[in-house]
Amino acid sequence: MMPTASQLRLRTILFWAVPLLLLALPLSTNSYVQFIANSIVIFSLVALGFNFVIGNLGQLAFANTALFGLGAYGSAILVNTFGLPWILSIPLAGLAGAAGGFLASAAALRGIRLYYLAIITLAFGELMRWLYVHGKSVTGGTDGMGVPAQSIFGVSLTDDHAKFYVFLVVAVLLFKSTLNLLRSRIGRSVMAVRENEVATASLGIPTARIIVFAFMWSGFVVGCAGALFALHTSYVFPESFGMLHLIVSFAMVLVGGLGSVIGSVLGAAALTILPEYLRSFPGMEELFFGLIVIAVLLALPDGLASLLRKLSPIFVERYYRE
Amino acid sequence: MLMQLTISGISQGAIYALIALSLTVVYRSTTIVNFGHGDFVMAGAFLSYVLVVLLGVAFIPAAMLAVVAMFLLGLAFSRGLIRPIRGGPHIGFALMCISAGYVFRGIARIVWGREVLPMPRVFEIEPIFIGDLIITGDAVFIISITAIMLVVFFGVLALTDIGKMVQAVYQSARGAQLIGINVDRFNDFTWGIGAALGAIGGILIAPISLLHPDLGASFLIKGFAAMTLGGFGSLYGAVLGALILGLSEQYAGAYINSALIDITAYLVIVLVLFLRPHGLFGRKTVVKV
Amino acid sequence: MTNLLEVEGLDVRFSGLHALRDVSLTLMPGQIMAVIGPNGAGKTTLFNAISGYVRPSAGSVRLRGHDVARLSPHSIAEHGIRRTFQNGGLFPALTVLENVLTGLHAQTEGSIIDVILGRKQALASEREMITNARALLALMQMEHMADTRAGDLSGGQQRIVEIVRTVASEPPVLLLDEPAVGLSPLARDQMMDIINRMAGEKGVGILLIEHAVELVMAGADRIMVMAAGQRIAEGTPAEIREDRAVLEAYLGHA
Repeated sequence: MMPTASQLRLRTILFWAVPLLLLALPLSTNSYVQFIANSIVIFSLVALGFNFVIGNLGQLAFANTALFGLGAYGSAILVNTFGLPWILSIPLAGLAGAAGGFLASAAALRGIRLYYLAIITLAFGELMRWLYVHGKSVTGGTDGMGVPAQSIFGVSLTDDHAKFYVFLVVAVLLFKSTLNLLRSRIGRSVMAVRENEVATASLGIPTARIIVFAFMWSGFVVGCAGALFALHTSYVFPESFGMLHLIVSFAMVLVGGLGSVIGSVLGAAALTILPEYLRSFPGMEELFFGLIVIAVLLALPDGLASLLRKLSPIFVERYYRE
Repeated sequence: MLMQLTISGISQGAIYALIALSLTVVYRSTTIVNFGHGDFVMAGAFLSYVLVVLLGVAFIPAAMLAVVAMFLLGLAFSRGLIRPIRGGPHIGFALMCISAGYVFRGIARIVWGREVLPMPRVFEIEPIFIGDLIITGDAVFIISITAIMLVVFFGVLALTDIGKMVQAVYQSARGAQLIGINVDRFNDFTWGIGAALGAIGGILIAPISLLHPDLGASFLIKGFAAMTLGGFGSLYGAVLGALILGLSEQYAGAYINSALIDITAYLVIVLVLFLRPHGLFGRKTVVKV
Repeated sequence: MTNLLEVEGLDVRFSGLHALRDVSLTLMPGQIMAVIGPNGAGKTTLFNAISGYVRPSAGSVRLRGHDVARLSPHSIAEHGIRRTFQNGGLFPALTVLENVLTGLHAQTEGSIIDVILGRKQALASEREMITNARALLALMQMEHMADTRAGDLSGGQQRIVEIVRTVASEPPVLLLDEPAVGLSPLARDQMMDIINRMAGEKGVGILLIEHAVELVMAGADRIMVMAAGQRIAEGTPAEIREDRAVLEAYLGHA
């Protein structure tokens, strides 16, 4: 059930209209709700980046959390040590994430796949965390690093409401870029590798390079999200990028729908709002997220996005642009 | 000094061997890598802690109970959570395993909070003195139990009917099915064995290390490093890789830098996968595209 | 006329097994050569060696004079040798149109940056490829299936789509591994139609592994017979029919 031409036009309108409407959000919320909204925007990006590798490319990746941390620390270091305005640190954090993505997946260029690739990304992720903890002089070690108050063009960014505007713009840009990629020969080749790598190679497509690219794009998106996160929490420390974050990312992607862009938003929204009540009790979050992933795997493996698709063809994704 | 480090290395390697072996056993028959295995190991250790410390059961019976309980848990996991998602993508299995691990971890953390728990000395084994060399009671215990388990395991595999059946399934699940082996039940059984073996590893390390819910993560990496070094899917490779890992950690830690003990496993993984991906005994699995 | 594809002395060994022994063949543009032989004769291994999935221990594979023998599969495909797979190589989660578009990957213009920024040049090229793909599907009377998930098609339809995807870029050389297996007579005719069109109109050189004798005898310009990793005969269908070595390989006696 593919969307018709008019539904496609509606989809484009909605894609831009929704963020425009959201611009009015900060005018009506209190700080607490705004903070949650900001979290949702940031985690939508995390889910988007993560989904690109595990959903669209179909490779298990454990390095994402580390790349998120790389972006956050990268931004914090650039701001603190080099005095760079935070806003400029965003693309640089993205590049750091992309570089990390390259390192994590370079083994793919030598033919490594699946479980081995998963393990190497796991090792890479843990190595990065070890660095955050032990690189005290640069990263502040377990104490972490603060991010000082920021402003752009004289407008102060200490308020969650102000931060939202920047987060929203960055998110819209990254989401649009990702959609452009998916709806092109590049996105198709990424998914082709997932479906059948051998056949993909027979079409003249350099599959190893595609895998590395997917990791790099994912790293870029997640790295930018890391920079946003650094300002969001005003503080960066290793614990935020540990194993809990990993299962949360998995849960978001799975609940939203593997490989679905809108699923990334749904999953992030669902799993940012719900656990608010669990934060106080140690262990509850892990138990909760673990159970959620299990439940989704058993009952709704295609995630919330699959429900949306049943609702209207407008949500069915076409991976080409006519 | 070298001999002392070697003893420590073998002792550590013994634990890693159990973990790597239990991972390999499951991987061989189901082609699933249990990314939550570290937490299964931790669960075994915590179960024994509960029995010994909170319920006052003596160590040996507690250990046996914990192992049996983990065996049943592994079986139930396979039956209830793995089988239903069989048709799906491989990523689904990985996520299921990881999530189960997180459930264990969450429960452990809820029950024990932020504490890091010492397991009381179980029994006093006299250390053995050979010249300057001190072999601690713990090392004696760990190495001998592991050695016995390995002998039993490989012995059963090679000599008994059940072992032959296992080898048959390893060679070809399809073929095994054709000659009447119920591969589903076999896989459940395998998960149980994997969980039980892992639990033994956890229980052996419990008395000499502090227990905390995040114990699993480091165990997982060590297990993977051992499997990668020995060659994924090779049972002997898993044991050999584990021993080499244990020794490398001790030597590197003493002769180069003590910080290396933590990250030797990661370095092994990265090095082996870049230089010789199929490890020592694994089959070539590099994709040619 | 220069040889399109020249395979010379191709030799493949797998730990102990001598899978291909000194196999040679020549293919002209527009020529259809069928490769036949009993199971285990090494036909698919030959294809794998030519297309780069298996490394030959000796020999050369010259495409228009250029030896591609030891390149990676995707490089060989880029040079112009395309193939289908015995077990089918479609992308089940993508639609029929998206599958065919992947066959046109190399022709589609636009770098990563162009795509991300939505530059006109990239979008125009994409639209052009979509038009071409739809036209191809229309030729096969499959345009109504363009938006169907490839995995939802019947086996026979999947095979046809796989062929369409493979020929979309009009490669100079095509290796078809048992394309007609499991196809209904109607689909089989469609298949032969594509093959003949490619060879006749586009000058594509086609190597075809096929078991259906009538198809081979009627459709091929030349036949190469293999057994036990070796080429035991090569010639026109008429010549092969009379060849004693062939009869012996198939029937065990002269």
